[in-house]
Amino acid sequence: MLKLLLRKLIQGVMMILIVSAVTFGLLSSAGGDAFTSLRDNPQVSAETVENLRRVYGLDRPVVTRYGIWLWNTVRGEMGESFYFRTPVRGLVFSRFASTFSVSLGAILIAMAIAAMLGILSARFKWKWLSRLIMSLILLTSSTPRIVLALFGLALLARSDDLSAFFVAAIVLAVPVIAIILAQFHEGLGHAMNEDFVQLARAKGLSERIVILRHALRAALNPVLTVLGLSFGGLLGGSVLVETILGRSGIGSLMVASVRNRDIPLIMGIVLIASAAVWLANTLAEFLQMVNDKRLHSLETT
Amino acid sequence: MKNPPSNTTGCRKSRFYYGLVIIAVLYLAALLADFLSPYDYREQSRQQPSAPGSPARFHDADGNFSLRPVVYGTRLTDPVAQEYSVDESNAAPIQFFVHGFSYTFLGVIPADIHLFGVSGKSPNAPRIQLLGTDALGRDRFSRLLHGARFSLLVSPVGTILAAIIGILIGITSGYLGRAVDSILMGITDAMISLPTLILILAARAAFPLELPPVTAAGLLIGLFALTGWAEIARLARGQVRSIRDREFVIAATATGVRPGRILFRHILPNISSPLITQVMLMLPGFLLAETSLSFLGIGLQEPEASLGNLLTGAADPTQLRQHPVLLLSPAVVIFLFALGSRLMSDGFGTKQECYRKFQ
Repeated sequence: MLKLLLRKLIQGVMMILIVSAVTFGLLSSAGGDAFTSLRDNPQVSAETVENLRRVYGLDRPVVTRYGIWLWNTVRGEMGESFYFRTPVRGLVFSRFASTFSVSLGAILIAMAIAAMLGILSARFKWKWLSRLIMSLILLTSSTPRIVLALFGLALLARSDDLSAFFVAAIVLAVPVIAIILAQFHEGLGHAMNEDFVQLARAKGLSERIVILRHALRAALNPVLTVLGLSFGGLLGGSVLVETILGRSGIGSLMVASVRNRDIPLIMGIVLIASAAVWLANTLAEFLQMVNDKRLHSLETT
Repeated sequence: MKNPPSNTTGCRKSRFYYGLVIIAVLYLAALLADFLSPYDYREQSRQQPSAPGSPARFHDADGNFSLRPVVYGTRLTDPVAQEYSVDESNAAPIQFFVHGFSYTFLGVIPADIHLFGVSGKSPNAPRIQLLGTDALGRDRFSRLLHGARFSLLVSPVGTILAAIIGILIGITSGYLGRAVDSILMGITDAMISLPTLILILAARAAFPLELPPVTAAGLLIGLFALTGWAEIARLARGQVRSIRDREFVIAATATGVRPGRILFRHILPNISSPLITQVMLMLPGFLLAETSLSFLGIGLQEPEASLGNLLTGAADPTQLRQHPVLLLSPAVVIFLFALGSRLMSDGFGTKQECYRKFQ
């Protein structure tokens, strides 16, 4: 267990290091910085721009700047946003909290719908329900979030915070429903024909207990895997959903920072997004081990 | 097999053809965009901003029935609320194969014939705007066709590039195994879980925000290819590993065939069908990435049209509630494309399975 945790930790640190280094290199190599546009301004002299760049340390080589950024980040200081003039850390964390709560809502909605339909279908084996699930998977997987968010905007009669929250959560949830539902439907369907389920039935357990205690646990692991993987998609999706529905969050902050070429802010967002994704995947893997003890013994041997 | 168990997907070959029809129609419309659109997609008609669709009826100004639909002119009655009234006295019949703005058909043959339109050169002649006009008075139907042309051409190019990168990484990893495999698959797994859109945005910030269309298209394709290869790499690696130790591969190795030839002549043809299925699944993802960036104003820029920057107009709630159907028409095209690719992918996958089953 500890070994696995250590391995995941090393993997996570490696991933974040590589992602941040590549992003940093890209951002500082090509195309200029936050002060490039000042150069076209006739009222600002070239010396002023150079001075500004020196103040912000933009005249030093890329590797040095990345080193400085990394050292500061490790100490918990992510610098100041060029555009918002506030510390990146506070900005990123407060916006992330808002996106995270919507994403969590989306995951709960998707889980509830997928689990309900999957269990009903496994319990009653209605043919029409199976067909409905199949078409629901097709429909939800091919309805992009940008389309849904615009439909949500058209339907959103009152634009108070609570209804906007729910619309955003539902819009984010729809593509996730497709992947979880597919896993639940197939996984439960397979589990219902397995020997241990037959045994549970033979013991005289009620069908309800058989499904909830035995079949569901067997079907849960692949669901957890895709759920962990879908978190990155949720963060990416929040870019569009937040922009369209006018909510503040990490996605809309990202758009603003790209438009203003606010490099410290972009770096902060990339960092927290990759860290969050890594955390979600690790959590999913941990939950799988709790659910399935066999994985535990596999890891240690 | 009388009663197939409910959990198997069964043979849904027909899905492939449904999807193929949808995709084919979309591409046909995109390729013939100039011929199908009645107006130049950049031409502004400032007297008619945000107009609703042109009223077309089957009776002329006197109320007599005519088989040929007639378009009526509209007048802007309230410039603030952008309300239009139908001008009954100003009518013109819809005509087919009319001469309009000139273009080069399929990029080669110069032409000026359009499928339909309203003849009449006078500036007050009624215009045929199937989906109305945007805020600058540009014909939305023409813009939709040209936007679809850009988006539908960019996404397969990006998909194919990403697929090539992914398949190369995947088969190398699967065939060589050991340390190469664990390093490459570590990177691939990280890539799958990372929030792609946020990374694309971050990389996009390294380039100037305003870009000419060709550069923008190239940049978008490059960004998608560099971020979208991971899933197909994982699939290719798994497939290679599953047949790496089969007899025909061992036989080829034993007769001294070089590894490169084994990979491309013996292994790759045998794993091509799951890979093709995956490529079809990737198509809508790339369309969406392009759409999202253009929607946010950092992909293809005005006055050029893409499905994404057409949707920017729909992000205004008051406008959206006034003309939901007109403004969401690009969204419908995106949905159809996603649905079509998904159906093709599903059908293609099961087609192979069916084939194996009855072999």
